[in-house]
Amino acid sequence: MSSFIDFFHEVGKLKDTAGRGWILIGAENPASVTDHSFRMAIMAWFLGKKKKNINFEKAIKMALVHDLCELHAENLTPYDHGHLPKDKKDWPAAFDKLPRFSKSKKLENFLKKEKKEKKALLKITANMPGDLKKEIISLWQDYSKGSSREARFVRQINRLETLLQAFEYGKESECRPFNSWWIGSEEQIDDPVLIECMLQIAEKFYHDGKISKKKTKRKRTLKKK
Amino acid sequence: METENQKFYLTKNGLEELKKEYNVLKSIRMQKTKGEAPNIWESEDLNPDYLSFREDLDLLETRLTELENVLKNSEIIKKPHGEEASKINLGAIVSVEVHGDTDEFVMVGTLEANPALGKISNQSPVGRALMGHRAGDEVIVSSPIKTCYKIKKVKYS
Repeated sequence: MSSFIDFFHEVGKLKDTAGRGWILIGAENPASVTDHSFRMAIMAWFLGKKKKNINFEKAIKMALVHDLCELHAENLTPYDHGHLPKDKKDWPAAFDKLPRFSKSKKLENFLKKEKKEKKALLKITANMPGDLKKEIISLWQDYSKGSSREARFVRQINRLETLLQAFEYGKESECRPFNSWWIGSEEQIDDPVLIECMLQIAEKFYHDGKISKKKTKRKRTLKKK
Repeated sequence: METENQKFYLTKNGLEELKKEYNVLKSIRMQKTKGEAPNIWESEDLNPDYLSFREDLDLLETRLTELENVLKNSEIIKKPHGEEASKINLGAIVSVEVHGDTDEFVMVGTLEANPALGKISNQSPVGRALMGHRAGDEVIVSSPIKTCYKIKKVKYS
């Protein structure tokens, strides 16, 4: 039980780990890794129901563990690989473009990220019982490689959740969703159910090139019971 | 995204890798049934990809079934000839210019797609839009943000 409590305590730190992309775009209340993973799990469950052969339990667990490594592995965006202009004033223009890399640089970034994340995950699960440790590592490996249909589905949901979050920031503040989120989704998402969801998100939030501005300010508040 | 009995279009390398994985997993299952510790388990460092299959038979069976379905319904992407070789189809290596930057994609089926490595699914909105086009074409993907992909070169390996 003691190793579980240590693990729960560690995992809790992700509640305070803001997504790097949201910090870069200057979001007022940047969503945390936990916020992202939680909504991904819900999306995997609901949208997975529209698929014939998705194992929900596996997909939900995968969504929950896919970013655990961010406890120890630095969360880097593609912009952090030499695509952040020195002058902050130039950042919005940069975020409208998806960073492009050479074939060798893509492979180098991918392998470096995978290595760092695996090392972090082994550290996080070091004191976990063997079966849970293996399950977490296996889910992450599957996700990372996109081996199973669940992994390919959840990887695309990762993109979709981020897209939705970007649109929500656009709705609640002057921090507009930058085009790169959309372009990246159009290059990555190929599941028909998720493409439909992506288009409906756009329909709901993006009208004639403008964000629907019915303000829904999101703040972390304490609710009285 | 795949459904049962759909055709899976794979590059030769992609198919070989899946066959290799299938054979390794089958040998793990065989040795597990015999109650032996397969050699492949001896070092986690040597075979990290198969770590998860060491004790989880359900996981092993699920993956084997999935691979069997893919291998049974797979078709190798063939290099097109003549006029077709100048058009974007599965297996094409496509150089594009987007927002003034150059990029290179390989057009693949859903199983091999990995945009982080430049492998774009032919079923993604960008993949669908590019299919059938050739060098010199400008393809605009607009739903809802307009992005122009200027096709610079199309080749097949």
